Amino acid sequence: MTKPKSQDRSNVIWGFFSSVKLTIVVLIILAIVSILGTLVPQEQGAAEFARRLNPAMLRIFTSLDLFDMYHAIWFRVLIGCLAMNLIICSIDRFRATWKRFSAKPEPDRTKPFDHLPSQQSFLAQGTPEETVNKVNRLLKSRYKKIRKKEVGANRFFYGERGSHSHFGVYLVHLSVLLILTGSLVGSFFGFDAYVNILEGEQIDSVMLRKTMKPLKLAFHVRCDKFTVDFYENGSPKEYRSDLSFLVKGKKVDKKSLLVNHPVEFLGITFYQANYGSVPGKTVHLKVSRSTAEPTVTDMKVEAGKSIALPGGDGKFKVIDVRGDIMKMGQAALISVQPNQGNPVDFWVFKQGEMARKMLPGPMLKSPKFDPSAFKPYTFFLDGLETKFYTGLQVNRDPGVSIVWIGCFFMIAGLFVTFFLSHKRIWVHLLKTDQGVEIRAAGTANKNPVGLQRELEHLINDLKGLFGKKG
Amino acid sequence: MLNSIILSYTTFVYFAAFMFYLLGMVMNREVFARIGTFASLIGLLAQTVAIILRWIESYSMGAGHAPFSNLYESLVFFAWTLMLLYMIVEWRTKNRTFGTFVTPLAFLAMAYASFSPDINSHIQPLIPALKSNWLISHVITCFFGYATFALSFGLSVMYLLKRLDSEERNNIFLKLIPGLGILDDLNYQMIVVGFLMLTLGIITGAVWAHSAWGTYWSWDPKETWSLITWLIYASVIHSRMVRGWKGKRIAILAIVGFACVLFTYFGVNYLAGLHSYAK
Repeated sequence: MTKPKSQDRSNVIWGFFSSVKLTIVVLIILAIVSILGTLVPQEQGAAEFARRLNPAMLRIFTSLDLFDMYHAIWFRVLIGCLAMNLIICSIDRFRATWKRFSAKPEPDRTKPFDHLPSQQSFLAQGTPEETVNKVNRLLKSRYKKIRKKEVGANRFFYGERGSHSHFGVYLVHLSVLLILTGSLVGSFFGFDAYVNILEGEQIDSVMLRKTMKPLKLAFHVRCDKFTVDFYENGSPKEYRSDLSFLVKGKKVDKKSLLVNHPVEFLGITFYQANYGSVPGKTVHLKVSRSTAEPTVTDMKVEAGKSIALPGGDGKFKVIDVRGDIMKMGQAALISVQPNQGNPVDFWVFKQGEMARKMLPGPMLKSPKFDPSAFKPYTFFLDGLETKFYTGLQVNRDPGVSIVWIGCFFMIAGLFVTFFLSHKRIWVHLLKTDQGVEIRAAGTANKNPVGLQRELEHLINDLKGLFGKKG
Repeated sequence: MLNSIILSYTTFVYFAAFMFYLLGMVMNREVFARIGTFASLIGLLAQTVAIILRWIESYSMGAGHAPFSNLYESLVFFAWTLMLLYMIVEWRTKNRTFGTFVTPLAFLAMAYASFSPDINSHIQPLIPALKSNWLISHVITCFFGYATFALSFGLSVMYLLKRLDSEERNNIFLKLIPGLGILDDLNYQMIVVGFLMLTLGIITGAVWAHSAWGTYWSWDPKETWSLITWLIYASVIHSRMVRGWKGKRIAILAIVGFACVLFTYFGVNYLAGLHSYAK
């Protein structure tokens, strides 16, 4: 046995980080603080929760970054500790592992044969050379690193299997480091943004989630069409955005984006995240003129365009539309320009009755909320034509492939660590008066049941060589 | 629907299996335990048929998908995996006392699925986020892991009970429980398999999340709790492999681990998050 490095070096830091106790403590601390993070609302949900805290608590929470703790410095320090611990533990134990991997036990060791069960030995008939050759051939086909020794008329064989399984645990530890590296690469060289695109419109910048600042893309994305399909029971079946990608105004590519089927263009990936609707430019109005002969005119107007009033008393235009204003539903701001005099501006609501009930008294009296502010006309809002927008998640993450490699290593490493073992097998051929006695024994670093099975198979096959039933 | 009727009968079959296993132990009569095994097999078979029927029915409804898409279906699948694994353990160890500690878990899962008023047993069509090839591999690996951890929980309880066994006490029930060494070995094997499955479950989930939401990890409560569970079992494995912990301490840690599994499965529903369809 070699001493672990921590004993050679009187380095306190090395000693601290090479302890498995530290690993267990850090794993448990990480688990506990992660629990905290699921109980305290994070990021978006935090504002509501923060309002209910008293100022002293709020100060503690914010100074500890508890509202975004998975990105807080102290959380990263903890993860850094785990990474350090992993690296140093692995280095610290590597020499011992390498020794176990590359050890060359003597073929004539007798210790494994102590308390040998009787079924692990038998007598073989035949000439000594023939016996030795047969056994040699069988062992060669099954084991690596066959080693032989001759002492007098006796022959000793040693073979092993699964010596690489000692490194499985290093693969697992490497995989954790790879995953952490991948996430760091992603956070330094990637971005996480979103954008809403109205049907028929195009964008060339997206909003970064972290800083809430726009990021300009090297191309334009146009949403040609957005569709939602529903099942018969009303739950959504499919969201689909038909996107066009334009470089310098020229359409380069056209792709359909669905949930679970992201689309990539020039290294940037787009995901279907959500959708919604906003009032479009088309406004349906009823305009009544209460004179001796009252008239009601249905009009479909584009916001921003001047239109002649049905009675010819001037012009009007819709200067603002809202999908939902102060929770009173759709509304449009209308500006009437009489033939003479100053323009008159006022809001009309789709649910006029409801709006009148909800509006506070002074506002109700103001001409700003009177649909009949310009006599003799009264305006009614029939509705706004709404437009769909598609909500896209926009990412670039160069660290992802490192993370996937890490995941693959982790599975492979766990498999090797848990299910493969280093089996060392000794076969001794001892010359006796009755013939050659063949005995087999072995050791394994784990899974004694597997070793037993291995030995049973081996003995059976050896017996088979000499025409004996197992 | 036929499948949910069969499934609700299965609940009673598992309960019967539990009672027979228990009776077998209390009365020290192998014949009852044998009936328990028989009932478990019948229940498992019926449940398998029901799950397949449900799968077929969903296609004939035009909402075809593997039956792993909501809490009802996941509970049924959990109980199925647990019973399947249990049957394998019983067959390999030739010992029926485990049944007393495992079948009640399967029964509880099925009873909760079949009789809780909050749980909808209708086949629902898949919402866009769930329409992915990763659904099947994610759910199977996760629930295989959960079921293995449930077995480990049962074994840990057995271990702690067996420790009370002594010559003076002379309690038949405790005497019938297999030896501490066997329980400890088996428990560790379960933890190892469960850990590998949980790891696979988290990874398949990450791959799926990456294609659905654009990020392989978003610290959503379910993700975080599965990570917490992973960390707990990772520390169990380290304490065993490197520090040589055995027996009681491993049993207690395995019970804590299973509590985390339960919270990952049910508790998270009370926290807001992205996995809300699993409610």
